[in-house]
Amino acid sequence: MSSDITPTIEVQGYELALDRGYEPETHLWVLVVAPDRVRVGMDPLGVETGGALAQLALVPVGTEVRRGEPLGSVEAEKFVGPLQSPVSGTVVAHNEATVADPGLVHRDPLGEGWLVELEPTDLEADRQLLVEGAEQVVPWFEHKIADYRLKGVLAE
Amino acid sequence: MPVSDTLRVIDFGRVDAVRSQTLWHAIAYGVSAGEPPTLSFVRPAEPYVCIGYHRRLDEVDLDLCRARGLPVLRRMVGGGPVYLDGGQLFFQIALPVTAVSPNRARALRELLAPAVEAFRAIGIPAELDDDLELVVGDQKICGHGAGQIEDAVVVVGNLIETFDHETAAAVLRVPRPEARVELERLMRRYVAATPGDADAFRDAATAAYATALSLEPVDGMLSAYEDERLAELDRQFVDPEWVNGAGRPSPDVWQAKVRAGVWVLAAEHAGTSVVAGVSRGRIEHAVVIDAELNGTTPSVEHALVGRDLDDVAAALVEFGAPGERIATALARADGSRM
Repeated sequence: MSSDITPTIEVQGYELALDRGYEPETHLWVLVVAPDRVRVGMDPLGVETGGALAQLALVPVGTEVRRGEPLGSVEAEKFVGPLQSPVSGTVVAHNEATVADPGLVHRDPLGEGWLVELEPTDLEADRQLLVEGAEQVVPWFEHKIADYRLKGVLAE
Repeated sequence: MPVSDTLRVIDFGRVDAVRSQTLWHAIAYGVSAGEPPTLSFVRPAEPYVCIGYHRRLDEVDLDLCRARGLPVLRRMVGGGPVYLDGGQLFFQIALPVTAVSPNRARALRELLAPAVEAFRAIGIPAELDDDLELVVGDQKICGHGAGQIEDAVVVVGNLIETFDHETAAAVLRVPRPEARVELERLMRRYVAATPGDADAFRDAATAAYATALSLEPVDGMLSAYEDERLAELDRQFVDPEWVNGAGRPSPDVWQAKVRAGVWVLAAEHAGTSVVAGVSRGRIEHAVVIDAELNGTTPSVEHALVGRDLDDVAAALVEFGAPGERIATALARADGSRM
């Protein structure tokens, strides 16, 4: 689970941390961990719909990515999918623990199962496209759950 | 559902190894760029080995492939290293990502269901099991993989008319010869060819995918854009840097999957080696190499058979220090991704 001091909220059984922003389509979160550094991970809906991760590959440290470009790729159920960066910047660190054991993303998506850290190039602009704060996060997540249930993406 | 109301259908026939991969990758790029959903078929004119996007090249016995003249290619979709030849007809369904469920398991189930219908249409009682394997009974009859390429999703599979179990096991790198023997044994037990009328399968698959996607099947060909991408992919797929892939750490314990839930491991600890075939978490067969065991090796191997891999220690207590070494070696195996 995420750190005890992280402010969290439960939305229909899913725990979300309120100290970060969420990319509303790709289900990745962005946490500012230093003035020039953000950490990126997968939110609980991304984890649930993505399936049990068997493989995780990340672009090399030092790679410059723009928002929407691949940060790497994941594989579950023999299905390879991209990880699209929620912010523009330079990759400065991998979480080697999740590369070695992608199951960590499932066990602790908001904490130890983080993916990469980046030095963002235009964080203020990118943050405008993220969902942040309980007043945004709760209705967004409730809507996503309802939509996914309607489409059969999530079990009732 | 797709924006287009047509399902483009392309049968490429028999093509060389590289083209048997690059043609449908080019289609995926085309569908991503706006071409209609496409069902394609291809049969390799020559045998080769193909490795999944994330997998390590050293999972393949490159020396053997070189000696047998088998090209080794890397695809952009998932799964492990596999042996392909002209006894296999491959089908690929490519759709815009917006037409596919974001739930990966559900997407696969939906996009493999028409293939199940096609198998049944030619008299093969196929089912899609809980592990998302196409099976008859407990035998896998179709190798599949999937991936998102730009804004398209592609799912690939095959009709296995003949299957060369010996070569399929031989092309995998193994740490000990006993592992290859076990690999081939499990392949023969759990992977089956389903000889059938390939033309009828192609027609049935076309009808089934068209119905499932509510699209009108229309014979088609590659677009100019896809031809351009094909030329690029032809170069990329033989580029050693692409074939090598990203460097990835080797696991402590060698493991190779035969089908979902069925795998072989080769583990060592303090000079003791164990090779085991595992099915649904239970050891089906074991080979133990430990100098101290001498004549009791068969008893140890017998004691392991039928045991849960996670619960072998109790069965090995009577074998003293060698038993402890075997248990320690087996404890390092990880069945969670098998």
